[in-house]
Amino acid sequence: MRPFVIGLLMGLFAVLAMAVVMKWRQRNLPMSATEKAEYLGKRRARMLPLLAVIFLSQQATFFSTLNSQSPHSAYGPKIAAWLALSIVLLFALSTKGFWFERKEVRDLLDDENTRANRSEGMRWGFLFAMAAAIGVYALTLFDTTVTARDAVHIVMTIGIAAALIRWGMLERRAHRDA
Amino acid sequence: MPERLANRLKERRTELGLTQAELAERVGVTRKTVNTVENGVFTPSATLAIKLAKALDLTVEQLFWIEP
Repeated sequence: MRPFVIGLLMGLFAVLAMAVVMKWRQRNLPMSATEKAEYLGKRRARMLPLLAVIFLSQQATFFSTLNSQSPHSAYGPKIAAWLALSIVLLFALSTKGFWFERKEVRDLLDDENTRANRSEGMRWGFLFAMAAAIGVYALTLFDTTVTARDAVHIVMTIGIAAALIRWGMLERRAHRDA
Repeated sequence: MPERLANRLKERRTELGLTQAELAERVGVTRKTVNTVENGVFTPSATLAIKLAKALDLTVEQLFWIEP
């Protein structure tokens, strides 16, 4: 099997394992839909900046070995893992998230204030992605070689991380004193 | 100077002896949303403003007003 596919499958497996662990941790919590939404909402507010840090640190490892003599076999899984995580995070940003919860809880977790915070996060993500694109373009003017794949990688990473951080900050502020 | 949407949500909610969570449940949002509206951090939509006013037995104009 190609290393790229192995990395992709490992990334998806990691996401699935996280979802199973989260469900298992909630097994003994008898909660109404409102209480559960409150509990999960607070956890989401704590997790979003943490996810951004994990996502960025994963890319730091990737970029630090980008121009080294690392074998091609190590490059594939890293790209695949990044792609899997990026897709999952993009889905989480653009949908209600909490895909394994019942509809009632999911609707509450995507109430008016959350939608507004998420939109603001997406706005920041877009602006940071554009700033990163301008930065990469400027870099190429100074004889620095940036491949199309690396450029896409940089723009996506910065855009997604900025959206996650901004959304997380707004959610934390909204939960303060609640 | 920008206009601000003021409200007497907290005052009315306390009068009726409701918690933020109870009010949130009545209008179908989370406590976080009620909290942010109360604190003036978040400007609710017309739909939510009407739901809040109805839950607190007031008109929208009695519950919300614009402060210059």
